[in-house]
This record gives sequence, structure tokens and C-alpha cells, in this order.
Amino acid sequence: MEEEWEPPLPAGYNETNRAFLQAFIARGTLTFREAQTVLAEIKSISMEEQVDPASIEMEEFSEYIKMAREAVEALDFDIRLTRRQAGAGERVWVFINAHSDPPTQMATTHTAEEMAYIKRLLDSMFEEYNTQRMEVMAVDEGQALKVSRPPRSRESGVNGRPNGENGEGAATPADRGLKHSEVLSLLSSLVAEGWLEKSRREFYSLSPRSLVELWSWLVETYNDPEDDWQNIKFCEACKEIITYGQRCSVVECVARLHDICQDGYWRTRRDKKCPKCETAWDGKHFVGERAVTSRAGFQRGRGRKSGGGRRSDLADAIAAQQAAAEDDGEDMED
Amino acid sequence: MPPAQQRRRRQAAQEESDEDVRQRSASPENSGSDGDERMGGIETDETSQWIKKLVRYALACDFARTPIRRDGIKEKVLGRHGREFKKVFAGAQKQLRATFGMEMVELPAKDRNLLTADQKRKAAKSQSQKEPTSNSYMLVSVLPTEFRTPTLPGPSRVASSEGEAAYTALYSTIIAIITLSGGELSDPRLRRHLQRLNATENMPSMNPNDNNAPNERADAVLQRMQKQGYLHKNVENKGLGDEDSTTWHVGPRGKVEVNHEAVAAIVRKVFDAGEGNEELEKKLQVSLEIQEGKAALAGVAEEEEAERQEANGQPGPSTRRRRRTRADAEEDDEE
Ligand SMILES: [Zn+2]
Ligand SMILES: [Zn+2]
Repeated sequence: MEEEWEPPLPAGYNETNRAFLQAFIARGTLTFREAQTVLAEIKSISMEEQVDPASIEMEEFSEYIKMAREAVEALDFDIRLTRRQAGAGERVWVFINAHSDPPTQMATTHTAEEMAYIKRLLDSMFEEYNTQRMEVMAVDEGQALKVSRPPRSRESGVNGRPNGENGEGAATPADRGLKHSEVLSLLSSLVAEGWLEKSRREFYSLSPRSLVELWSWLVETYNDPEDDWQNIKFCEACKEIITYGQRCSVVECVARLHDICQDGYWRTRRDKKCPKCETAWDGKHFVGERAVTSRAGFQRGRGRKSGGGRRSDLADAIAAQQAAAEDDGEDMED
Repeated sequence: MPPAQQRRRRQAAQEESDEDVRQRSASPENSGSDGDERMGGIETDETSQWIKKLVRYALACDFARTPIRRDGIKEKVLGRHGREFKKVFAGAQKQLRATFGMEMVELPAKDRNLLTADQKRKAAKSQSQKEPTSNSYMLVSVLPTEFRTPTLPGPSRVASSEGEAAYTALYSTIIAIITLSGGELSDPRLRRHLQRLNATENMPSMNPNDNNAPNERADAVLQRMQKQGYLHKNVENKGLGDEDSTTWHVGPRGKVEVNHEAVAAIVRKVFDAGEGNEELEKKLQVSLEIQEGKAALAGVAEEEEAERQEANGQPGPSTRRRRRTRADAEEDDEE
């Protein structure tokens, strides 16, 4: 055998680097705070004395990241830095496949039916619930369940199989879709695997890791370069994909800005106007779940939130708001 | 230019330059001072591509806890170059150890009901001698055991999820009980144990942080444990009139991950005893090595466990797992 061959590794790469890499891969992502815990533990073990997580400095962490990156580069893995779009914009280091799309990424771990469902879920996030007027790019549980099965093809009436449940024509035999219980458990494993995030208000959206890893696939799949309108848009400040943030109040305009990027951005500008269309930027038009939750209908619906009632309330609220928005093109703020 | 296009172009440019780098580093004039160690030409480059693919495939499989199958390697990695298996496999092992501190170990062959307890024990201990091979592998850590902690969970673990920890604790406990019962447990007996663990109806699912399924039906969880190779369920049809007899065994992944050493660690933890407790150690010796007098110890273990459960409301014992299987990990350090 080829005993001469040695995998290329950075100089000084040792057990602590391997332990760090294992911990990183198991998590998929690392924040600095998590890294402090991990590195303190590794150092405690290798130095045989207690190391305080707070004593781990960014410089040391960066060195571990650098070594890990060098070690996995040749294997088409990479480590990228991104930030959470919501909250304080915490920095997140992501371990990714350098050339990745959902099929190659998840195919080993999911069945063909699950893969087809994931594609339908992404379609509903980035097409159906991502319109000019309602740029949600997230789905609630009811919406996630709605795509459990592939849409019945128009011609399905032709071969209509009357023996389906309740005499309904069955979907194509190739993909019968997933049962609701299967969808729920798939969603929860996608959250566990770090592909999806579930918000406090129970919206599912793509995690920072997915956005980094699926970046080019998303753009290729959902954007048409010929078109002025783009399903996937980018923050004016940081140029990253935006699925949670602010939008220009003009529905046709594609200018977007992260909440976490706005302070820095406006400091560099003379006035608070849209960089694309010059309309005053009010910071009250949203991308992401707040496109739904900031609306009056949702607030009313939330009062009754409990069990099965919530879903239809939310659906009603969205429908009502969509209708209202089409009438006057304005959000209904109280 | 809209940002999308800019980005796409940038990305494309980057891919190109990546490609350049790869080709450059494979060409002889760029190999620098290590030039002498290089093997010649195209074949080397192909081999290293296969090695890379195999390493990636192994990591992807293990993340999902599906076995790394020899057939899968041939299909997804080697294509029509199946006869390169040995060489590529060895290269991938080298890379896995050196870069990740992991390696592939072969899973034991499936339980053969006809095997005697003694043979089963042998099969669990070593996969070498003329036992039927499973032709599948899983990743284990080759780092020193001190590096195995909940914060540093090793391959096939999701570190941050509490659900994962509860799930791990649960299958470890079930495997310990089966092992201490001689490697086989009837269905009613398993159910009785589950009752004591307070897990007849519902069990912690992998991800209790998710509101949808903090718990799952016990049968769904047992099914996942089977699918992932932690448990093996054997249903024997006894013929007309008789009820089917269902027995539970430790699955191939379970045998590697929750090996005898891990079972012993669980028992010590349950009895709150260190390795110094001679009487317990003797019993363990008997149960694990000779597989006799097992029922007694299993009975005590499970009762203690049930008490623990009630006390802290958490299923939970030890996760000290997998022994370091190879001694050559140190060698990798010397570079
Ligand atoms: Zn931004
Ligand atoms: Zn604008």
C-alpha cells in the first residue's frame, strides 16, 4: 500500500487541533463563547490543569480556526465566518462543505421522499412566502405541513384512481410525499442537524449555516439574472444574503438592510434614504417573520394563541393582510 | 452589477483559482522540498481524489449514523475502479486519523440467532476470525480517552443538543441491560425494564429543544435505535397458534459504541462505585466476560437505575464509551 503518502497538515498540528476539529464538526457551528468552553476543556485535558474558559482569547481561537481550515481545505471543507441576522448579530463560525447543494449535502442522510419534501419546503420559503408584499422567507408549522405531499399534477384527474382515500385522486406513484407525523419529525431533525432554525414565534427559517453553505445553490435556484426582481436579496451593507432585516418601503425596490448592519451603514451615508430609489427609509418595513408578526392581524391572532387555533388564526391574518396590502400598498400599523 | 451576479462571479473566480491551486500542487515542479516523497503522475492524483471522496463520504454517513458501507464506497466513491478499494481505504484511514483523530472500524456482523453466547461474545470482541463480516464501518475517535467528554463528544454526535444526550443515555442504558442479560432480552422483559426507566410510552427524542417533539412514542424511538444499528430486534415465528417470540439484541453500532468497557462504566456509575470496588468488579468480570449469572446483576442494575431516574427525573448514565482501539495515533503526532 501507499505508505509513503502523507496527508498534508499544517506544521504543529496535534491532538488538541484534532479534538477541536471533532468538537467543531459535531456542532456544525461555533460562537466565540462556545469555542472558549471547548478550548478550555481541551487545554485542561492536555495540560492536566484546570483552564478557565474566560482565559481563552480570540487570538488563540483564531489560531485553532486557521489550523483547522488549513487541515480540511484539501478535502473541500471550509470554515467561514458569518453573523446571526437577528438579535445582537453574534458572530458564528461555520464548518461547511465548500461546494454544496442540498442534494449532495443531505442525500446520504435523507430518503428521496425527504429530499423532495425539503425542496418543496425551500420553494415555499423562497417563492410562495416571499412575495413583493410579504417577504417572509420563513414558514410556520401549518405552512410546512401544507407541502407534505407534492402538488397534484393538473392531469392527475385523467388517470384518477378512485380507490384513494375519500375517493381522491392519488398523487403520482413516484413520490407519495410524507405523512404529517413524518414532516414534523423531519423538521425537528433538520433543526437538530442545524439546517433550520425555529424562532420563538415558531417560524422555521434557514440557519446561518445553511445560508453560508447553500449560498450559491440558493442564488442559482431562486434568482433569475435576467429579472429585476430577485427572490434572494442581499444586504446593502454587508452584501450577505438577507432573510431577516429591513426593506425599502417601495414594493418593487430590492434594497435591503440587516438590523445589525444599519448603525454602521447610516453613519456612512448623508441621509437616511434608500440607496437604490432614494425613498426615505423608515425601518418599519420588514423582511423575515416580522413581515407577518408586525402586522395588526397577527397581533390580534396571537391573543388567542393556543393549540390548533393558532395556525388558522395566523393563516387568516396573513390572508387578510395580503388582501389589505393589495388594496392600499401599506402595512397596517396600529 | 446586482450583488447576486457580483457574488456569483466572485464565487466562480474563486472556484477557478481553487482548481488552479489543486492542479498546481499536483504538478511536480511545485512540490517543493518534499518533492522526493511524491509518487508519480496522474495515478497519484486520482488516488488522492478517491481518498478525499471517501473521507467526505465517511463523515457524511457517520453524521447521520448510517453505516459506511463497502458497497456504498464502491458505488459513490470508486465507481468502476472498485479494485482500488484497498489502497483508497488505507489512504482514507490515514487521512482520517491524521486530520480528524478518527478512523473507520468495521461493524460486527449482524446477530446470528444460531450463535452461542460464547461466539457472540467473540464476535463482539473482535471482528477478525472467520466471523462473517458486515462490510460496513463506523467512525470512532482515536484520541486518548481523556478527550471523550460531553463537550468533546467525538464522531457522530450532536454536541449541543440536550435531546441528543438524553437519547444517548437511553440507548446506552438499554444496551447495558441487554448485555448484562446475556446479549438477549425478550420483548416483555424489555418493556418491563422500560417501565422502570419510566419510558414505556414516551422517550426523549433527539431534540427536545424543539417544541414539536420533546418526546416521541417509545416505539418510534426504538425503531430509530434499530435503524441506526444500536439495537436489533429478532422476531421468530413459532408457527400456528403460538405467539411470535420477539427478542432484543445489541446492534452492530451498539456493540462498537457501547462496548463492554462502556457497559462496565455505566454499571459502576449506577452503583456509584469506582474501579476499587472488588466485589462489583468481580461480578462485572463474570457478567461481561463469561456471560453467566447475568440476570442477578442486570436486575440490580436496573432497579438502581430506576431509582436514579426517579431521583433526578433524567435518564442518564455515563457516556464513557469506546475504548481507544489503536495504539498508533501517537505516531500521527510526530510530524
Ligand atoms: Zn448586512
Ligand atoms: Zn428603494
